[in-house]
Amino acid sequence: MSRNNGRLHLWAFLQGIGFFPGGWRAPDATPRAVFQRDYYERVARLVDDACFDAIVFGDQLQGRDAAGRTPGRLAIPTLDPFTLLSVMAGVTRHVGLVATVSTTFNEPAEVAAKFAALNLVSQGRAGWNIVTTVHPNSPWNFGAADLLEKSLRYDRAKAFVDAAEVFWRDAAGLDDPQRAANLKNRWFDIAGTLDFPTSPQYRPVLVQAGQSPDGRNFAAQTAEAIFCPAPTLEAGRDYRDDIRERARTFGRNPDGILIMPGLAFVLGSTEEEAQRKHALMLELADDALCIEYLSESIGYDLTRHPAGGPIPLEQICAECEFPAGDVRRMLAPAAEAGETIADFCRAYARKPRGHAIFVGTPDQLADRMETWIDAGACDGFTLQPGYMPTELELFCAHVVPLLQVRGLLRRQYQGTTLRDHLAVGVGT
Amino acid sequence: MYLSINIDIPDGAGDAYDALARTADRVEAAKADFAILARAHGDQGLAPPRIEPVVSLPWIAGRLRTPLVVAAIPALHSVPFHIARALSAADFLTDGRCGWLPLLAGGARFDAAYGVAQPLSGGEALAKYDDFIRATRALWDSWDEDALIIDKASGAYLDSAKVRRVDYRGPYFAAMGPLNAARPPQGHPLLLRDLDEVGESATAADVVLGGLDRLDRLARAPKGAVRLLKVTAASLDDGLHHVRDGLADGLHLMGPDALELLEALRGWVDCPPYVGTTARQRLGLRKPVNPYSRKGAA
Ligand SMILES: Cc1cc2nc3c(=O)[nH]c(=O)nc-3n(C[C@H](O)[C@H](O)[C@H](O)COP(=O)(O)O)c2cc1C
Repeated sequence: MSRNNGRLHLWAFLQGIGFFPGGWRAPDATPRAVFQRDYYERVARLVDDACFDAIVFGDQLQGRDAAGRTPGRLAIPTLDPFTLLSVMAGVTRHVGLVATVSTTFNEPAEVAAKFAALNLVSQGRAGWNIVTTVHPNSPWNFGAADLLEKSLRYDRAKAFVDAAEVFWRDAAGLDDPQRAANLKNRWFDIAGTLDFPTSPQYRPVLVQAGQSPDGRNFAAQTAEAIFCPAPTLEAGRDYRDDIRERARTFGRNPDGILIMPGLAFVLGSTEEEAQRKHALMLELADDALCIEYLSESIGYDLTRHPAGGPIPLEQICAECEFPAGDVRRMLAPAAEAGETIADFCRAYARKPRGHAIFVGTPDQLADRMETWIDAGACDGFTLQPGYMPTELELFCAHVVPLLQVRGLLRRQYQGTTLRDHLAVGVGT
Repeated sequence: MYLSINIDIPDGAGDAYDALARTADRVEAAKADFAILARAHGDQGLAPPRIEPVVSLPWIAGRLRTPLVVAAIPALHSVPFHIARALSAADFLTDGRCGWLPLLAGGARFDAAYGVAQPLSGGEALAKYDDFIRATRALWDSWDEDALIIDKASGAYLDSAKVRRVDYRGPYFAAMGPLNAARPPQGHPLLLRDLDEVGESATAADVVLGGLDRLDRLARAPKGAVRLLKVTAASLDDGLHHVRDGLADGLHLMGPDALELLEALRGWVDCPPYVGTTARQRLGLRKPVNPYSRKGAA
C-alpha cells in the first residue's frame, strides 16, 4: 500500500466532445453519446480508476449563436454540469466533481443549496469553479441588458461566496464570526439560511479561473485551486509566483492554493502518429467550421460574407456583440494585412482558448509534466483530451502508469473527499 | 392505477445520505410509478425538498430505474434559464423519464433565504408561477426536436434554421434564448401541478395531484391529464373507491407510513403495462407542439 498522495494533481476537463472544435468528426469520436447516461458513467469510472483529483465541467449562460445564428458545424456545449456530475457521483467513490457556476446570474441561497446537494450525493466530493460570466449575451437570458462592470462582478463574487459560506456553516452547525455582515451587505439582504443537510467537507472546494488583477486578487483570497491557461512553462511559473505572492499579502498560506493550468493533448505511440492525429484534428475543422468558430467568439455572423474575401473590419466593429474595442484589437492586424476571412479563422481555430497543446508520446507527456512540476510552473494540470473519449482513454492507459512509476501520481486515493485529494487543508 | 410517492431527507436523519439512498432503494423495489422529490407537510401539503431537487434528481434517477422522477421546484424563486437547462440534461440522461412540479409552497422560507423583503400577494404569486412555466417552456422551444444532425462525413452538426432566439418577455421573466441545450426528448419534461395550491392556471399540466377535498378540481383537469389523488393510510379506502369510480387515475401516498403503504399496495396493484420509455409514452400523453417550429408540430 502506497501512502503517497503524489506531487502531481490531475483534473479532467470533460467539456462536450473534447478540446478541438473539429474533434467530434474523428472516426472514433462518439458525438451522440454525450447525450446519454452510459457515456458519463463510463468516463467517470475511467477517471476514478486513474486516481485523478477531479472531473471539471465549464459552463456558459448563453447559446452559441452570433447575432441569432447558431453555428451548424460546431458541437453544442456539454449538458448542464450539475446534472452530469450528479450522475457521475452515483458511479464513483473518490473522484472530485467540480461544477462551474456564475455568481452574476444566481443567488447565494440557490447555489449553496445546489452544492450542498452535490456534496451530499457524492459524500464530500463537490467543487465549485467560481466564474463571473463574461459573455455579452448572457444577461439577455436573465432579463438584463448588460453585464455588470468587471470590478463590480468580482465585488459581488466575493460577497456571494461569503454569503454561501454562511449557508454551509449553518447547515454544518459551525459558527461564522462574520455571519451578520456576510448576510446583509451592499449586495445581499438575507434573513435566514435553508435547512439543507450537511455532508463531509461541509462545503465544496473553491476553484477559480481569473486572469485580470481583480480576478487574481479574488482567486488569491478565495480559491483552493486555480484553473488557468499557461501556454509556456515561463508563463505558468510567472502566474503561479504572482498568485502565491498575492496569497501571502492576504495572509494566506500559498501552499493552500493549487495552480492547475489547462493542457490539451493528442497522444500517439510514436511522435509521427501523434502529429498525424493532430493534423487530422485541424483538417476536420474545415473553413466553414472555423468561420463559425470565430463568429461565435466575436458575436458577429461572418458566414454572411464570402470566405475568400477580405475581413469587413468596420462592419464587424459596428455590429458585433462583444466589445468592439477587443474585437478590433484582435482583427485589425489581419484585416490590414489583407488576410481573407478563411485564412484568419483557420489560424484562430488551431489554438482554441489559449491553452497549451501537447502532441507526442506518453513518455514525452510524462516528461513534460515532470519538468513543469519541478520548475514550479504548476501543481498539476487540467487535462483537456483532444477529442472524446479516445484521448482520455489513451491517457489513462498509457500516461497514468508512467506518472505512478515516477512517484508523481498517487496509486490509490489517500482520502475520500475532494479536499483530501488536493491536500490543501481547510480554512487556510 | 398509478402509485406515486414523495421522497426527501427526513428532518433529523442521522446520516442524510444513507436515509435518502435507503428510501430510494425501497421506492425502486416497490416499483412506484412516480417518485417526487418533495417535502411533505401535514397530510397533503407538498413543498420543495430539503435536498436541492434539480441537482439530486440525476443521482437518484440512477437508483430509481422504474419510476418517473420529478423535482418539486420553488416556482417563485427559480430562474427559467437554469431550470430549462438542467431539466433538458436530466431528460436526456433519464431517457425522457423526468418531470417538474413547480410549487408556491415554502415561499416564506425561500423569501428569507433569497432576500425577498415583500412577499407576493396570492394573485401575483399565481401570475409569477404561470410566467415561470411559460418562460421555461419557451426556452425548450428555442430548439426543434430534429435540430441535431451530427453527420461526421459532411460536418453538419445541426440545422441552424432549427435553433432560434425566442425573446420571451413576461411580467416577471424575460429570456432571449436560444437555450444552450437541445430540446428535451419529451419535448417538455412532464409538468405536474398541485391542485391544492394552484386551482386555476393559464398553463396546462400533464399530471395533477389533489387531496380528497379537491375532487372538483381533479374533474376539471385537462383532458388526458393524469389525475393523482393524495391519500394517507386513513383515507386509503376512500381513495381506492374514487379510483375505481374513475375520478382519479392513481394515488399519491402521503403521511408517516407512505412507504409501507406503497409496499403493501404493490402486493396487489399490478404495474401498468407500460409502452415506450419516456414519461409521455408511458402515460399516453402527446408531445407538446413547438409553436416556433416551422413545421408547426414537432
Ligand atoms: C481556463 C479557464 C476556464 C474558464 N472557464 C469558464 C467557464 O466555464 N465559464 C465561464 O463563464 N467563464 C470561464 N472562464 C472565465 C473566467 O472565469 C474569467 O471570467 C475570465 O478568465 C476573465 O477573467 P478576468 O475577468 O479576471 O479577466 C474560464 C477562464 C479560464 C482561464
